[in-house]
Amino acid sequence: MHASIDGLDALILNRIQGDFPVSEDPYGDIGSALGVSGEEVLLRVKSLVERGVVRKVGPFFDARKMKYVSTLCALEVPEEKLEEVAAMISAYPQVTHNYLRAGSPNLWFTLIAESREAVARIISEIEKKGGVKPVRDLPAKKMFKVKVDLKVGE
Amino acid sequence: MEKRDIELVRALQNEEIFLTERPFHEAASLLGWTVKEVLERVRALKEEGVIRRFGAALTPRNAGFKSNSMIAWDVVDTRAEEAGSLMSEHPRVSHCYIRPRFEGFPFNIYTMVHGSSPVDLARIIDELSVLAVSSSYRALHSLKEFKKSSPVYYPKALEPENA
Repeated sequence: MHASIDGLDALILNRIQGDFPVSEDPYGDIGSALGVSGEEVLLRVKSLVERGVVRKVGPFFDARKMKYVSTLCALEVPEEKLEEVAAMISAYPQVTHNYLRAGSPNLWFTLIAESREAVARIISEIEKKGGVKPVRDLPAKKMFKVKVDLKVGE
Repeated sequence: MEKRDIELVRALQNEEIFLTERPFHEAASLLGWTVKEVLERVRALKEEGVIRRFGAALTPRNAGFKSNSMIAWDVVDTRAEEAGSLMSEHPRVSHCYIRPRFEGFPFNIYTMVHGSSPVDLARIIDELSVLAVSSSYRALHSLKEFKKSSPVYYPKALEPENA
């Protein structure tokens, strides 16, 4: 367990990861379930955000149901061009994740846009601007629903 | 998506409201709706699956998961659905997708895996290998993070209700 996460933090995290109450008083509801006040829960959550344990609290949308199209892309970039090409790719607001990874291809990014055409257009722009070809377009054929989130404190 | 739902989605993407005492009241005041209307519509969007889940996302590294990796598996096509379904139920798998293979890269199932240590990560990979009935995989360890952000849907400023 992470040193700065105590028992109550872990209980709160495990409660809110998958199921933040959609109610008039969500923090009060979480508090009632855990035997503490809503104020205490909110203070804890704010502190977890400040400490970087929690990245975000809020809704996670299903891109497909909103008619957005997402994909994972992979390409091989020579080391001397890596920073430049990675920055060019990250500059697209439609790119949400961008990582250098072990092996070949070495650069992996996720792309989310309004249509298949928009995805294809951005990929071909990246190929042209970066002089990097091919950029592999790897849309999910199937996305499995994960049952629970990471249990903290086990 | 209907105009009212788009407005709601935009309001809910103001993440700071979820760190206040009454998040849905804040959303209601941004929208000029009643809190009852907001709650009803949010519940409906959850029901429809437009909102996959409501909750917190962790930064695994800061939550005690020091060894994280994307592992791509080569699983026989006829078994891919079953393997993906089994692997997605593993408690240390946070994402699981079937994707196309490509030249020089025969892997078709992608999992994000979170371990507390390198030893723990290796143990999880072994367990997944059993579930996938495949020992052919590649660990795509991240060497550098260039970008990590939440997608922004319908990016446009909220228009005041009575403008």
